[in-house]
Amino acid sequence: MWAIYKKELKTYFLSPIGYISIGIFMLMYSIFFYATTITYYSVDMGNLYYATARYGLLLIVPLLTMRIFSEEKRNGTEQLLLTSPKSVTSIVLGKFFAAVTIILITIILSIVYAVIVSFFGTVNIPTMLATILGFILVAIAAISIGMLVSSLTENQIVSAIITIAILVAPWFLIEISDIFSAVDLMDKFMKFPYGLISIPDVISLVSITIMCILITIILIKRRKAIS
Amino acid sequence: MIEVKNVTKKYESTIAVDNISFEVKDGEVVGLLGPNGAGKSTTMNMITGYIEPTSGQIFVNGIDILKKPNKVKKQIGYMPEGVPLYYELTPKEFISYMAELKLVKKKERKQEVQRVINEAGLQEVQNRLIRNISRGYKQRVSLAGALVGNPDVIILDEPTVGLDPKQITEIRELIKKLGKNHTVILSSHILSEISQICEKVIIINKGKLIAVDTPENLEKATMDNNGILLTVEDPKNNIRNLKDQIKEIKNVELVKDNHDGTKQYLILSSSDVDLRKQLFNLLPKQDIVILELKKSETTLEEAFIKLIDAVEVNKNYNSKEENKAQKNENKEKAIEQEKSNKKEEKK
Repeated sequence: MWAIYKKELKTYFLSPIGYISIGIFMLMYSIFFYATTITYYSVDMGNLYYATARYGLLLIVPLLTMRIFSEEKRNGTEQLLLTSPKSVTSIVLGKFFAAVTIILITIILSIVYAVIVSFFGTVNIPTMLATILGFILVAIAAISIGMLVSSLTENQIVSAIITIAILVAPWFLIEISDIFSAVDLMDKFMKFPYGLISIPDVISLVSITIMCILITIILIKRRKAIS
Repeated sequence: MIEVKNVTKKYESTIAVDNISFEVKDGEVVGLLGPNGAGKSTTMNMITGYIEPTSGQIFVNGIDILKKPNKVKKQIGYMPEGVPLYYELTPKEFISYMAELKLVKKKERKQEVQRVINEAGLQEVQNRLIRNISRGYKQRVSLAGALVGNPDVIILDEPTVGLDPKQITEIRELIKKLGKNHTVILSSHILSEISQICEKVIIINKGKLIAVDTPENLEKATMDNNGILLTVEDPKNNIRNLKDQIKEIKNVELVKDNHDGTKQYLILSSSDVDLRKQLFNLLPKQDIVILELKKSETTLEEAFIKLIDAVEVNKNYNSKEENKAQKNENKEKAIEQEKSNKKEEKK
């Protein structure tokens, strides 16, 4: 797993995609920092993370995950991985954690805003940590969904569009029926910015992640038999 | 040692590999030969564990690939078709990544990577991006990726496709060198290549195994005519009468007219007679000047085409026979029907 993780992380920064993703994230943090914190003279960091999760995670993560398996499949390098003595599980997890690392980097960089706020007031640290926990959980769920989609197609664009559709569609489908809130990641993030760690929300985000990772592993193993 | 036993790979509507069995012994260099779409890559993908066979078993050094895939994969170095590489890495980075994937120990990794770089002749380009190096070097990087970790078995899928003649000879030399202490399977549709490198040839077509033999034996087995290539100066065109004078000659064919008064002919006889001496004695007496006289050798290429055609012709012939039989049956039935109809009418 370690070998694949290192190589994947390196690849993010050898192609511009790592820098672009982090750059766009920082731009979004800045915009929302201005819009939610500075404009309202507030020390509340919750809205900052909520807005970034909604518009950042769900739109940027697909760009991060679209290449994970699609690119390997198109270039044929998938053959190198799958004929190596590494297990499918370690390949999938290595790639997954590399993408998670990119998001973690942006979170660490975002702490700078808390530092700025702390000059003018007191930041509620526990609430902020709860929000960051929720942010990470939403991020890993979104990444696992993106990775699953990427393992289904050779085409990166198709992979990105389908992932965006899966992540964003529930926002509008709620208008039709409340049932769709069950698949809306943002719905599960709602309580974290208030400093509430809701166990059902944590469980559902973690289980979405585990489920998507497992399906990815099963699909790749299964494809050996049918392709 | 690789054993492939009754392996079949079926897709929804087609059979890519149809009940193939063969054996490759330790230290052998074996060529997998067949036209495009014959099932070469599918067979290789199954041996390397990239895809699973629909039925049948594959053993590498006695271990079943389906039961202990990771143990088997450790012993195999694979260079897949189309040279898949990570273009954003340098050859050195790529090879050391492959070394990590192949579970080469951390202590030995640096040394092993350097060894493979030297063996594949990549010293000059090792720190340039793979994206920017030439096709020949890319091929070598891919080959180096297969060599790293010093696996017992090396499987190369069309290793020389798209290279220039000089690069082809270099890669061939490299493969020959590898054959000394590795078991090598390589696929190709270029026959001269196989006959130069391989000790054994496995010919497959349309998923079926057609022949397993040495290149020399295959050539002999498919040779049913002895041919002599003859370049002559023959102003009176006396060569027309040659067939009457030497009875063993089956046919005299004009190969080409050089338009300088000389012509090249191919003289065919049955494979057990050699006419060279006779021709050499007889032709000057007929006012024919011999400029060149040599035995024409059937190439492996011809052997290959003959083998594949033979299988196909048989199939067509059989199916035609079947059609005929069926038609006859239908006719008989129709006649009987008519007869019975007539009988009924009479009644």
